[in-house]
Amino acid sequence: MNKKTLRNDLILILSLITVAAVSLALVLSLRKTNNLIAKISVQNNVVETIDLSKKEEHDYFIKGLNGELHVHTKDGAIAIVESNCPHQDCVKMGYVHETNKPIICAYNAVYIAIEGASNVDVEI
Amino acid sequence: MKKKILSLFVISLVSCSQASKVIESKVFCFDTYISTSLYEGNKDNILELEKSFTYYSKISDNYNDNDLVNVYKINRSNEEITVSSELYDLLKTSFDVKNHGAKYFNPLCGSLANKWKESLKSKHILDENIKNEEILKINSSSLDFKENNIIQRNGEAEIDLGGIAKGYALDKAKDYLKSQNIKSYLVNGGSSSLLLGEKKNKDGLFSIGISDLDNKYIKAKNCFVSTSATSLQGVKIGDITYSHIINPFDGSAINLYDAVIVISNNGALGDALSTSMMFSSIDEIKQIEKDEDVKVLVIKDNEIKYKNESIEVFSR
Repeated sequence: MNKKTLRNDLILILSLITVAAVSLALVLSLRKTNNLIAKISVQNNVVETIDLSKKEEHDYFIKGLNGELHVHTKDGAIAIVESNCPHQDCVKMGYVHETNKPIICAYNAVYIAIEGASNVDVEI
Repeated sequence: MKKKILSLFVISLVSCSQASKVIESKVFCFDTYISTSLYEGNKDNILELEKSFTYYSKISDNYNDNDLVNVYKINRSNEEITVSSELYDLLKTSFDVKNHGAKYFNPLCGSLANKWKESLKSKHILDENIKNEEILKINSSSLDFKENNIIQRNGEAEIDLGGIAKGYALDKAKDYLKSQNIKSYLVNGGSSSLLLGEKKNKDGLFSIGISDLDNKYIKAKNCFVSTSATSLQGVKIGDITYSHIINPFDGSAINLYDAVIVISNNGALGDALSTSMMFSSIDEIKQIEKDEDVKVLVIKDNEIKYKNESIEVFSR
């Protein structure tokens, strides 16, 4: 193996290490940004996608299976504040900002999932 | 050498992309959404699970009639009824769990639970007379199991499988996944019933956040995690929280704890035990842990009231 080949190999190895390091840094920085997205689905169809990381206060009126739901966002969290469902379980959940902790209104077939970085796989 | 290095790089990239492969589905049944994440297998496996969940949801439904012989139909008859072998076994299981420590779980509490729900909706405690009438109904009712999948309801008490059907369906899901040699999965039955395989990481453990304990989580794999809690469906009247979980002996809706989490190898039993243990003393819980090979975490006022020594609770 001559000197030139050895130098080229070293350049290649260093380039690959650089690419790997940059990719890793990118993945880690994306995880840290904590971009929380709320997806509102009615009967499994996404009807609204909300960027919670903007921390905006906003009202959404979602047409569910049996009536309209009033959804509100504030401080990076989301809640169903009004629903015509009989047990009001969805309203009682209050404001949620955790991923893997969906808000479900079974009566209206509405499912609100928050997606983003999390250190748990599921909430109980 | 260059070729070797490049090949290794490409192989590592391909491996990384394969490790992140996950097939997900969400199906509405049991009055909630069942979310399934398979880290192995294919779309057909997901469809098979969805079909199974929907089927068990339909046969265990006590609120709505449908095209199958279900609990709704059984609750409206005192005649002999031929049911599917699946419903027969589910019903049998729901009555047998009391012999495995779930003494406060009674599938005949349907009507009493509904009366409580109606009353709490208007922020009222259930009238004593109505409560006593319902207890009388429960104590004078039964379900007979006859040959050839024939059952007969005696008395007026109504069957409610809400505290066990999801766990039972997850048992069937586990059997199916095992038959397909799928080991890495997470099935979330609306948070109250989880079925965990192995996560595709070093130790295979999933992290499970606990809502009733601020910023705490546990780790688990290859098990069922069943939770009963007052936090979501509890109604506070005065200083007392009344729950949807009813004591079948005295008709009370006051639970001893805010949440009971049961880690087990049997979804139906785990679900029934978590419900029943809301009325059990800590000593009773410890005995059931020994007898039934389950691990329990009990929460009251955002603090751990009792935990099995093998359960480790982590801070986020």
